[in-house]
Amino acid sequence: MMEVCGSSNVTLREFGCEQSLLSRPDGSASFIQGDTSVLAATYGPAEVKVSKEIYDRATLEVLIQPKVGLPSVRQRSQEQCVRETCEASLLLSLHPRSSLTLILQLIHDDGSILSCFLNAACMALIDAGLPMSCLFCGVTCAIDADGQIVTDPTAAQEKESRAVMTFAIDSTERRVIMSSTKGSFSVHELQQCIAVSQKASEKIFQFYRDSVKRRYSKTL
Amino acid sequence: MKDTPLSNCERDFLLKAIEEKKRLDGRQTYDYRKMKITFGTDYGCCFVDLGKTRVMAQVSCELVTPKENRPNEGIMFFNIELSPMASPAFEQGRQSELSVKLNRQLERCLRNSKCIDTESLCVVSGEKVWQIRVDVHMLNHDGNLMDAASIAAITALCHFRRPDVGIQGDEVTVYSPEERDPIPLSIYHMPISVSFSFFQQGTYLLVDPCEREERVMDGLLMIAMNKHREICSIQSSGGIMLLKEQVMRCSKIASVKVSEITELLSKALENDKKARKEGGRCGFAESMPQERITALKMDETSVEMTDVTERAKDIVQKTEAPPQLVRSPVVPVPGVGQVGQGLQNTWGLEEEDEEETEECDNSDEEQEEKVTKMEEEEHEKEASREGDVVEISDSEEEDVVILHPETPDKTPKNTESRSHQKGAAASKKRQKK
Amino acid sequence: MVCGNMAGLELLSDQGYRLDGRKASELRKVQARMGVFAQADGSAYLEQGNTKALAVVYGPHEIRGSRSWIRHDRAVINCQYSMATFSTAERKRRPHGDRKSTEMSLHLKQTFEAAVMTQLYPRSQIDIYVKILQSDGGNYSVCVNAATLAVIDAGIPMRDYVCACSVGFVDETPLADLCYAEESGGVSSLALALLPRGGQIALLQMDARLHQDHLDALIEAAMTACKGVGKVLDEVVRLHLKEVSVLTGE
Repeated sequence: MMEVCGSSNVTLREFGCEQSLLSRPDGSASFIQGDTSVLAATYGPAEVKVSKEIYDRATLEVLIQPKVGLPSVRQRSQEQCVRETCEASLLLSLHPRSSLTLILQLIHDDGSILSCFLNAACMALIDAGLPMSCLFCGVTCAIDADGQIVTDPTAAQEKESRAVMTFAIDSTERRVIMSSTKGSFSVHELQQCIAVSQKASEKIFQFYRDSVKRRYSKTL
Repeated sequence: MKDTPLSNCERDFLLKAIEEKKRLDGRQTYDYRKMKITFGTDYGCCFVDLGKTRVMAQVSCELVTPKENRPNEGIMFFNIELSPMASPAFEQGRQSELSVKLNRQLERCLRNSKCIDTESLCVVSGEKVWQIRVDVHMLNHDGNLMDAASIAAITALCHFRRPDVGIQGDEVTVYSPEERDPIPLSIYHMPISVSFSFFQQGTYLLVDPCEREERVMDGLLMIAMNKHREICSIQSSGGIMLLKEQVMRCSKIASVKVSEITELLSKALENDKKARKEGGRCGFAESMPQERITALKMDETSVEMTDVTERAKDIVQKTEAPPQLVRSPVVPVPGVGQVGQGLQNTWGLEEEDEEETEECDNSDEEQEEKVTKMEEEEHEKEASREGDVVEISDSEEEDVVILHPETPDKTPKNTESRSHQKGAAASKKRQKK
Repeated sequence: MVCGNMAGLELLSDQGYRLDGRKASELRKVQARMGVFAQADGSAYLEQGNTKALAVVYGPHEIRGSRSWIRHDRAVINCQYSMATFSTAERKRRPHGDRKSTEMSLHLKQTFEAAVMTQLYPRSQIDIYVKILQSDGGNYSVCVNAATLAVIDAGIPMRDYVCACSVGFVDETPLADLCYAEESGGVSSLALALLPRGGQIALLQMDARLHQDHLDALIEAAMTACKGVGKVLDEVVRLHLKEVSVLTGE
């Protein structure tokens, strides 16, 4: 079992977020982590096709659009991760026989893309005012060749790392809703990464709070 | 998802207002909405905001073999994506009429007018040329997608830099951006399209219709021009009847508008070039407006890691022991792998000498259940049959009874009593004695 | 396969003759026949030079298929444009369903929605199918002309004949009715669908670079050419009417 040294230089890149930037969708947000940026939009609750309707819940659909070309299998797997996270936190039973559509457009990929998708999705859902039982955020950790943990890695750092893990953390109890990992690592390293992600998520949730407070600062 | 239909009173209101030369947002008949052009981090990415309509264009390139009838020309490929983000009426993956129309108009506007020197894209004649691919994504549909798309596409093409290529004899090396500076494309002229919408059977005309105006219009005339007053494409659509004078008037208005837009475009490109030269960070991140209350930025923060190791150790120790590991695969015979022992056979057959078949190593198929106990019984009853290789045939035929010289009386019984296992229905198993 | 680069060939000689010996404003020979199919409500076959097109009209009839296309106050026109696989010099691998054919079908639909009096047939559908049997330039124009005759043959009321023609611009002179060699020579070409009596333009489509000052002359030339085509179509219709009335012994 490899020991991961508790390093003190684990940082999160610069964050940025803008809400309500598109006029047609019910909720929209852009989320920026360093150079990685994603634009998210939600429509809903809206009419659902009879073939897709569920009698007691809303039908959630997630679409990820890459920049060049048509969506491929990689986008489908990312859609699945985001969808499961959203379904765990949205109160879907409040809108039966309706559809919620979440569309994520990749603007620039410089590493930690799945966590950027998750953060943008959460902000778009907040902007649309959809009822949620908890907020969620995404944190990516990478274990590099020396065994150091790096949070929010850039694309270059991801390429050189031994393992890359993304966790979706919920806001109420800081538990892991979804995890997606790539590479090999030990059980101990996994637990350490989860602990680091939980710590990092506090910063992100504080950022959510600040954004929303700022947004309503003129009205409240 | 369906788009909300337009009500009759909205339609009447809009038409009446247009008759009185009034527009919803207070513009004049020939006014464009506020246009903003920003660029992304990498070369060839451009955002265009036309009022609330938002469009993103990305240019990419790759080396391909050229077309047979044009061996020394590069290939241009245009693709307009009506993202479901832009409007609830757009569906993913469906080639709607609007999508075909926009795609064809953009192709005709940029490709047929030969705005890019395709011969300069040739690397090795007949073997390798550059294929330039322009993807335009609609992000928000508030009318006049065509104009926004054409501006975004041509700006992105002007902004794009392709990698430098070196040819030594037969070898072609593509240099990465770090090794050699990438080269811009050679663009002859910049065609920009201007849309005119007609109302009340061609009586009234508006430039740059917004989404509500588009819904009540009778037809659209699209004129693409460049700043040298050359018309690159004209397309009328929507079943309206035009008169020659109207077309001439529109072309004059278009030339004025195009020169204004081209100026704005060149200025934006200049500013971006300056910013990049100074080494500042460019991109979507930088263009995010700071002063708005809907936007917030946070600097780089560090994450506390002080008690992470202890917590992790704690958790690992406290967790239960993992479930019993599966034994590593056993290879009874080369070509056959066996994992697990399986559960008790629950088919309830009464024959004593039930045989089970040995599994094959195909881990994709559902595992056959085997009985350890039964194996032992069998072991006792008959001569050891471990190591028997089971043939899996893919044939759909019924089980064939094979009479073997060694145990002729057993075989018919075997086929009856053999348990046809659940799962793995495709293959029928045969036993070889 | 005809090479795309025909810059070497002179599209307009000094004496004013084109590649096929016509003068600049001369149209190709138009030959047409109506009522070629007995089964369809209306049909027509039209040849313009070497371009041959066949148009068939079914309707007005009840809307088949999806009910969402029903318009309560007018008929819906459904057009389909396709090229035969043997129509071009190289065998066409995808005769319909590609973007160009879909665009053509949309243009045809738009042209006829302007010309046909659809208010007389609410909640119904008119189908127009056009097939190019041999393609030698001016595909769109020949389709429109053939479809006009077919619609007249079907007895559906129209505001006026819809005549179409393509014109190109070479050496400051407009050339009427382009053939394939002239079209692919990189000449700026304009296709126009006109209702001759009122001078109303149903469809206007132009590709390739043209200076704005020449636009007026080009549209004028196109309108004159369309009016010429209109006269020919009118003759064909009257002749056909005479034949039919003779046959029915009036």
